[in-house]
Amino acid sequence: MLPNAKVCLYPRNPQEAVRILNEHGRQALVLAGGTAAALSSDPAVTTLVDLTRAGMDGIEETNAEWSLGCCLRIQQLATHPGIAGLFDGMLSAAAASVGSRPIRNMTTLGGNVVQVFRWSDPPVALLAMNAGFELTGPEGSRRLTADEFFERHPRQVLRPAEILTRVFIRRVQGASGGAFFKYARTAFDLAVVDAATCVELDGRRCREARVVVGGTRTVPWRAHEAEKILVGSRLTKAVMHKAAAAARLETRAMGGLRTDGEYRREMVEVIVGRVIERAVQLAQEKS
Amino acid sequence: MEIHVEVNHKPLVWKVNPGEILLDVLRREGYKSVKFGCGQGDCGACTVLIDGQSMRSCLLLAGQVEGRSITTVESLGNHDDAHPLQSSFVECGAVQCGYCTPGMLLSSKALLDENPEPDEDQVREALDGNLCRCTGYKKIIEAVLRAAERMRS
Repeated sequence: MLPNAKVCLYPRNPQEAVRILNEHGRQALVLAGGTAAALSSDPAVTTLVDLTRAGMDGIEETNAEWSLGCCLRIQQLATHPGIAGLFDGMLSAAAASVGSRPIRNMTTLGGNVVQVFRWSDPPVALLAMNAGFELTGPEGSRRLTADEFFERHPRQVLRPAEILTRVFIRRVQGASGGAFFKYARTAFDLAVVDAATCVELDGRRCREARVVVGGTRTVPWRAHEAEKILVGSRLTKAVMHKAAAAARLETRAMGGLRTDGEYRREMVEVIVGRVIERAVQLAQEKS
Repeated sequence: MEIHVEVNHKPLVWKVNPGEILLDVLRREGYKSVKFGCGQGDCGACTVLIDGQSMRSCLLLAGQVEGRSITTVESLGNHDDAHPLQSSFVECGAVQCGYCTPGMLLSSKALLDENPEPDEDQVREALDGNLCRCTGYKKIIEAVLRAAERMRS
């Protein structure tokens, strides 16, 4: 509950939303799904800004990429047939693993990736897919790569009065494969570890690989040492195991209520190994 | 501020603080079927349908439901004219203490509105956000499948 909120505004487009945020500064709070706002009791907030009526819940398809509006609900991402066809459905899988059905009905793509909550699985898939992120602020729009967007916590990447408006997913041709896996104690618990991998093959060798780990730090991160082992190699079981072991060595894991850091590091090797094998298998089936 | 909502097909104007929790507003306005359980989105006792989709009323702010249609279990049926879901819950023994029941009924209704012929896995998935500490779920799932069958015939 936000005890001092006096008014809720309903901008009709992203520019109007940005203008309102710019006027109200720190007294304004953006709502998308609103689940995090409902748990907040920030006394500074006087103005709520509901983004869900600003025309930002569309899915558009062009030749080169898909564009996803930031107010798409996680359940829509999990069930959209077009999204299921991208990178072997890894974003659909990540969306489907968020919380329970009512939570997926409420929470949005934008809220999930900007806040990177402990229950946010889609950022792991989006970093592996090398998605693009469109931010709109008082000075107009800019586009960041996934590496730029997740370089720090996205809340620190966004400038004042700036909002995430769209996420872009490129279309990949040829022998590529993608896989996401979440390991948690129960179906709707937070991830102990989740991981995603995208690979592109050139004949029998790996042309490109992105290996991403989530659950161990506040934002997902790329396992660069694992990627170096994969890129340029023939992807035998031994190479894939070596890459998974490298990911374990570069893991700096947080401990916590659910498990300690050492167990998380052990599980990184297992889960990363699993997504690499699956992505490679799917890519080989297409080559 | 004033917000305009439709609750159980009835248009209403509420005076609210937009930062209030929807669950608190609903109970104050007399919709006592909506229960407070955990208050943080885990248990499903406060489930309502917003434009037909199951959501947690404990995680929604009053300002967010301006112009939306809200369904609570009060709209389903009553003792003399029960909804098929309500009668099958009774017949299957799917109600014990009853605290989770309104949320269970609404999540089940949202499922059957979208998919009149669910299989058991789909029922389990639709109810994955509603916790019941009495029945062990088996009877609830049987009741939803039985209601689906009855509503088709």
